[in-house]
Amino acid sequence: MNSLKHHIDSPEPTPHAAFSQYGAIQSAPGANGISNQVSSANQSAEPGHNEIDALLERHPGLWRGCDLAGQGQHGRSTGFASLDAILPGQGWPQKGLMEVIAPCWGTGELQLLMPLMRDVIAKGQWILWVSPPFQLYAPALEQAGIDTQQILVVDLDTSCKDALWTMEKALQNQHCGLVLAWQNWLPGKVLRRLQLAADTGDTLGVLFKHNDSKYSPSQVRLQIKDIPSADQHFSESEITLIKARGNFRPRRTRVQLQPRL
Amino acid sequence: MDDSDSSAQISLPAIPDRQGARIIALPVATPRRAPAQRPDQPAKTSRPALWYALYFPALVDLPDSDQQQALEKLAAVAESISSTVSYHPQALICEVRSSLKYFGGLETLHTRLQQPLQDCLVQLALPAEFFYAASPTVSGSLLLARSGHNILVYRPDNLRSALGQLSTDVLQLNKEQNRRLYNMGIRYLRDIWRLPTDGLRKRFGSELVNQLSKALGNAPEATHNYIPAPVFNSDYDLPYAIEQLDRLLPVADEMLSQLTEFLTARDLCTSQLLFQLLHEKREATAVKLGLRQPTRCRSHLLELLEMHFSSLDLPAPVIAIKLDVSNFDAFMGHSNSLLSGPAATPTPDKNSNLDLFMEQLRARLGGQPVRSIHSVAEHCPEYACQQLDFDAARNSHHINQQRPDDKLWLLPNPRPLWLLSQPQPLTVRHGRLYHRQPLCILRGPERIEARWWSGEDVRRDYYIARERNGSRLWIYHERQGERLWYLHGVFA
Repeated sequence: MNSLKHHIDSPEPTPHAAFSQYGAIQSAPGANGISNQVSSANQSAEPGHNEIDALLERHPGLWRGCDLAGQGQHGRSTGFASLDAILPGQGWPQKGLMEVIAPCWGTGELQLLMPLMRDVIAKGQWILWVSPPFQLYAPALEQAGIDTQQILVVDLDTSCKDALWTMEKALQNQHCGLVLAWQNWLPGKVLRRLQLAADTGDTLGVLFKHNDSKYSPSQVRLQIKDIPSADQHFSESEITLIKARGNFRPRRTRVQLQPRL
Repeated sequence: MDDSDSSAQISLPAIPDRQGARIIALPVATPRRAPAQRPDQPAKTSRPALWYALYFPALVDLPDSDQQQALEKLAAVAESISSTVSYHPQALICEVRSSLKYFGGLETLHTRLQQPLQDCLVQLALPAEFFYAASPTVSGSLLLARSGHNILVYRPDNLRSALGQLSTDVLQLNKEQNRRLYNMGIRYLRDIWRLPTDGLRKRFGSELVNQLSKALGNAPEATHNYIPAPVFNSDYDLPYAIEQLDRLLPVADEMLSQLTEFLTARDLCTSQLLFQLLHEKREATAVKLGLRQPTRCRSHLLELLEMHFSSLDLPAPVIAIKLDVSNFDAFMGHSNSLLSGPAATPTPDKNSNLDLFMEQLRARLGGQPVRSIHSVAEHCPEYACQQLDFDAARNSHHINQQRPDDKLWLLPNPRPLWLLSQPQPLTVRHGRLYHRQPLCILRGPERIEARWWSGEDVRRDYYIARERNGSRLWIYHERQGERLWYLHGVFA
């Protein structure tokens, strides 16, 4: 990283100057010429850093090493260490659209997001549930440590078009920290629109679905699968990261979503 | 109408005359210029002000707030004859000099007003009885009207003698003051005028003296004017019939800009707008904009209107558009911080933004689709979760805050995140439970017996079960009746 900075700083990178930077600390304070050089090198390092930032800002598509699985710190912790380890930025993305694919409801898809929900509520943001498949049960949320005062539910019987509209508006709204929606079979165009809305509103949207759709523009696509085990009381789920922006290939981990009974 | 005082004669206040006004006029000395008039003051017009007082004795028995409401209604009627209508206790006083010529005299003015006023009083369930009087001063008119003699006095010179004939009751003094006046042998106002002012001030306070000098026109008087409620109406005839609603939006935008100007000028905002789209030979289509929080933001209103239009089916082409706003609220602005800087930047009002969002939702989805949920301390599972409309929930927030021991009643047994609104029956085959796939019970039973008091006997054993595909379900076994198994929730 350091050498990279120097490459950008000075048009002619002199290995001599780089060497003197380290040598100056040990050298006698009397060596004025050298210490001057060092200070000038330090000063020029600062604008160079800015230049990199500017470069990154200008080209958002620029890939960074910290985008790799388990690298960087720019994610929100999922609350599951093994899952953090395979997610870029070591956690859920700050904004964007995620797809959670579960073969049937009840496999712990909400348990997966509970730590995130607690985090959102603690920030004072709202959680919007758009047309959930069943009635949301408040005592369970309170047991999970989630304040129900910041939870809004949009009715089940609203049409798909309205539900998508609501979702888009909510994603654009900065007071909604998390938007959860249950929709199968959304075309890529719609998903891209939702992804854009989430980007502008700095909001995280989560789509729950039964089937995976290839080529979806969502930032993260993961699948939950139950692993049958001999001990019925102990259940573990396999989470496959089909896609996570930054990862090269699908990754897989095992997480215990449901508490042992 | 000329002030034909000269033809009238002196009359003592005798019997209250309900039918017509009695014009009291005293033979006046030759009109002379007021010597006290200062040169810098503009010369007084030959016609002094004339105040027409309406006194409603029936209002005395009403509580203060009702009195004010009744007076407001009556003032709206009286507004038809005068631009200045002033509130007084149980009375309204209108300035009529400026409109006297237009209406052709006080008598016509009175006949014009009598019927609507009586109708208004009947509407208010009050006896349709009122007294009136007119004189050049506000207090003078009020005192004359209170006497119930329906006296009209046109000239300031006649005021003193006309008032002098009134009983001291019209002053509406308190009991002690009345007793003192009586003991002093004073029955009429003219008796008071014989007394020295400073002594009177000492014994009865300056209020009485001021009132009398106001009545005689020697002191300035204030009026408490009736200000009619603002109403905004605007309509626009389209040059040709329009079928596409989006082409109406520029017109609506223009109307909204008029509205916002109107609101800004009066420092108001509104939460209810009514757009009417007029059709030929058909009833108008009404578009009602109801806002959660009053606003005067044009862009927000236009956005909401656009949303209403998007879900509107036009029965016929629109030929004109109308906007009516009659409910207003005072505008509440936010103050920005004086100091700039990161710490001093005002944080955006969290709820206002959310309110905008809710309004958008309501405009698009209609009704109350957005709900918030609350848990209730209740054993029976289906009653332990309450769904409330967002507005209602917000109002009941304080109730929730009064429950500090929130954690105390939390149940030790896990509850599912999804609850089925109707429990689904499970099948039992060869002694095994089936939902879609076979179930095995992980934990239970948890016995819940409740609501026997409401006639609906709930006696169930709840179990947590695992379906073969990995779902965790909340099932129960009835302990009475057919003893069936039901699926009641899903642990997500």
